[in-house]
Amino acid sequence: MGNAGPVDILHDIALTVTPGETLGLVGPSGSGKSSLLMVMGGLEMATGGTVMALGQDLTTLNEDQLALFRRDNMGVVFQSFHLIPTMTALENVATPLELAGDKEAFAKAEAELAAVGLAERVDHYPSQMSGGEQQRVALARASAPRPKILLADEPTGNLDETNGRAIMDMLFSLRDRHGATLIMVTHAPDLAARCDRVIRLRDGRIDRTKAAA
Amino acid sequence: MSIAVAARFAGRELRGGLRGFRIFLACLALGVAAIAAVGTVRAGIQAGLDREGAALLGGDAEVELTYRFARAEELAYLNEIAEVVSETVDFRSMAVTENEERGLTQIRAVDDAYPLVGQVRLDPDIALEVALEGQGAVAERLLTDRLGLAPGDTFKLGTATFELRAILEKYPDNAAGGFGLGPRTIVRTEALAESGLIAEGTLFSTQYRLDLPDGADLQALEDQTQKQLSDAGLRWRDSRNGAAGVEEFVEQIGNFLILMGLAGLAVGGVGVSAAVQSYLAGKTGVIATLKTLGATRSTIFLTYFLQVGALTFLGVAIGLIIGGSLPVLFAPLIEARLPIPAEFTFDPRPLWEAAIYGILTALIFTLWPLAKTENIKAATLFRDAFGGTRTLPRFIYILATALLLAALVGLAIWFSGNAFLTLWTTGGITGALLILVLSALAIRFVARRLRKPTRGRPALRLAFGAIGARGGEATAVVLSLGLGLAVLASVGQIDSNLRSALADELPQEAPSYFFVDIQPDQIDGFQARLADDPDVSKVETAPMLRGVITTINGRDANEYTNGHWVVQGDRGVTYSVEMPEGTEITDGEWWAADYTGPPLISFSAEEAMEMGLKIGDEMVINILGRDIAGTVSSFRQVTFEDAGIGFVIAMNESALAGAPHSWISTVYAEEDAEAQILRDLASTYPNITAIRVRDAIDQVVALISGISAATRYGALATLITGFLVLIGAAAAGERARTYEAAVLKTLGASRSRIFRSFALRAAFLGLAAGAVALGAGILGGWAVSTFVMETSYRVIWSNALTIIGGGIAASMLAGLLFAVRPLAAKPAQVLRARE
Repeated sequence: MGNAGPVDILHDIALTVTPGETLGLVGPSGSGKSSLLMVMGGLEMATGGTVMALGQDLTTLNEDQLALFRRDNMGVVFQSFHLIPTMTALENVATPLELAGDKEAFAKAEAELAAVGLAERVDHYPSQMSGGEQQRVALARASAPRPKILLADEPTGNLDETNGRAIMDMLFSLRDRHGATLIMVTHAPDLAARCDRVIRLRDGRIDRTKAAA
Repeated sequence: MSIAVAARFAGRELRGGLRGFRIFLACLALGVAAIAAVGTVRAGIQAGLDREGAALLGGDAEVELTYRFARAEELAYLNEIAEVVSETVDFRSMAVTENEERGLTQIRAVDDAYPLVGQVRLDPDIALEVALEGQGAVAERLLTDRLGLAPGDTFKLGTATFELRAILEKYPDNAAGGFGLGPRTIVRTEALAESGLIAEGTLFSTQYRLDLPDGADLQALEDQTQKQLSDAGLRWRDSRNGAAGVEEFVEQIGNFLILMGLAGLAVGGVGVSAAVQSYLAGKTGVIATLKTLGATRSTIFLTYFLQVGALTFLGVAIGLIIGGSLPVLFAPLIEARLPIPAEFTFDPRPLWEAAIYGILTALIFTLWPLAKTENIKAATLFRDAFGGTRTLPRFIYILATALLLAALVGLAIWFSGNAFLTLWTTGGITGALLILVLSALAIRFVARRLRKPTRGRPALRLAFGAIGARGGEATAVVLSLGLGLAVLASVGQIDSNLRSALADELPQEAPSYFFVDIQPDQIDGFQARLADDPDVSKVETAPMLRGVITTINGRDANEYTNGHWVVQGDRGVTYSVEMPEGTEITDGEWWAADYTGPPLISFSAEEAMEMGLKIGDEMVINILGRDIAGTVSSFRQVTFEDAGIGFVIAMNESALAGAPHSWISTVYAEEDAEAQILRDLASTYPNITAIRVRDAIDQVVALISGISAATRYGALATLITGFLVLIGAAAAGERARTYEAAVLKTLGASRSRIFRSFALRAAFLGLAAGAVALGAGILGGWAVSTFVMETSYRVIWSNALTIIGGGIAASMLAGLLFAVRPLAAKPAQVLRARE
């Protein structure tokens, strides 16, 4: 919904994701998969219908309540990493923990960075890191507060094949270790194949649902 | 490479409009407008002074004598060279009402020919000769209000009684612009005959205004008069410099304000540079594409140079229109407030000056970012190929920037005609900018170090993180706010210290009154009245004459001393048998009490050193038209700071005792007793003039207030430019803040938390800029107070807190104005737009 007014992107979506499930969202560009993910994360407001997450109707919450809900329950990974450029890797990862008032924020952030193989890069700024490293920091940031839901929007879209594969391995390993629900938008069929369930979107509608092999 | 191609590219790029260049244009226009306005006002005043030169002088030329009237042969000479000669007498006296109210007044006693040039305006509107008929007098409203006099009332000058016939609204020969120790009273010279005020030895001067034939050669007449009346001790002035003192004062203040305008332009330059950098940062892709398509480095440079050039001309033109027209539009208002004539028109010279300053400043501040476009590689278009723009521009551009800076300083010296003032001011601006850049680096360093201790307080840590970050707003905020606030802080500190020295400290050690014109036969009675008074702590008396040093060791004194102030006009001269109490001889010896030989001179040590005098030098001093040749026999320590009696020249008694003279006295008394002392002395000796030191100090304080107000307006222009730059920096940072807010919202930060972080960031930056400015202000204030004004210095904290508060307020206002959109933006839109 830009300055040009509201645009109908998603239609007749009825979707339930069970706790601990990994769900892949696929479809051609413009099919609405990222929009669906954003609506699920409370980052975009649906113009109609309800969005229930962990028993909470997100459509009834205002912007700040949605922010607090994400802080306590969700981690988000983007295609373009979206690290804060004025913060070091450690500070980026610690930020959601700090916002939640966690006294151990920096110790946990350091451990999380070590878990993604960046123990030596804690004091580096995003501009001093490669794309793969930045995405690992973003991954650590998303998983550090141990969210119940992990949302990933084409997390390997800006990375080469090797880095992309490494990131996906880390994403799935984090999910496995912490048991979060993972909902991921991807174009890559091999990544989709690793999910418990894959939903194909076309023109804002669910075109097909396919359970993992 | 072809300029035509670059011009075509530039034209296409500018088709997008001036978006992104508003701050560029505003900074440049404001800086140029301020300089153009000051220059136009100064030119207007100079034009007015030139036009009214003769009226300000009261004639085409004037010959002034001290202490005496012209002798018959001198008058004959003056009548020979002039068509009409008008004689006036000028002196200070006390006006005393029937109720014994007393007020100091500057009297001008005139003849029938007065005024030779210009008009006297009276209220009621009657002719001057009618008003002055018999014992008639006219006086300025300041005096009549002070004494409660109305037309028809009588008052005394000395022993003569006068009737006030009208209020003096305006008179032509007022070159001092109304600044004097007493308001003016005009009477006829003949009416003073019985007053006892113009006796031999009293302090008065006579002016002979000359109405010269049309086309008279003023320089030739001056030379001829100086030669013809070489022993007269006269002072020649003519309409070429009718108000030389005022003209010089206006010139100096104008120069100073224009140089302050340069400070504003320098701050504007920071904004201009930031705007160009931000514009070019957005053009990286375009530049890389052009390079991929075959554009050379110089084509790229020229493309953007031409764009910036076109915008510079636009900004300068807007500034010239505003700065040139404001004084003309507000001419009636300004003229009404000025005590001197002014003639405001569109004068091209100040406009040229402002335009050149504007263009040079824009070039200096934009050449560097423009040159860096050459460093952008075509490979920037491909992923992971960024970088390279942090390198320095080519040497040729660095050299060009240095040369432009030198040209700016050189032109400023040429325009102002004062290398000393210009070099100090431009050096000060450059030094201040350098200090501010270094301070910004230090602030960023400290902010980065503060992130660790503030862990767990996200709003605070985010604020310090943003301040410490490379490419953040810290440098822009400190530079833009810092210079304006630093100038304001310096002016505030200097002004407050000087006022405090003059208004609080000086009166405590200064005498209550100066009494002048005490006749030799009155001095004993005068001293007797004060000797028994318990409220009088000290009385100093000294005989006083006035004289002009004409030659030193046979050479013209002016030439010998390079125009030292002591040889400019007449100076007080005293004589003494014994060495006065407390005198400190630094070199040579005081004469013996019974010395009666050739005249000996004891000279003030400090002035002697400045004038290059040594013991044994020969000096000719013209006193009352008589040349007295003396030998410098000693140097003395003379202090003027405590406003006591301080004569630069003292001579042995036998050299001067025969000359008609009066006595001067300083009286130190309790403030409560001052009025009674004045009443007693003035009623016993009506010819004596009392100058209340507190009133004189008030006059000086008022003058200083005027100058510091003008300086403050100049600093304010710099501050407004700084605020514009701040707005520009905040606007440029809005995109980054929007992004940051979106990410933080995604991570769970509420809007109030983000707002707090933005507010803290702005407040800390404002505080830092204010603190740096205050540091610079205190340093500047201390240096000027200690070395220039030679007064004691203390930090004025009320002023200091205002500066810091101002810094915080300005930074928060600009920062939070541009926090609204980032806080309102939807995170999904912002983040997806970057995917």
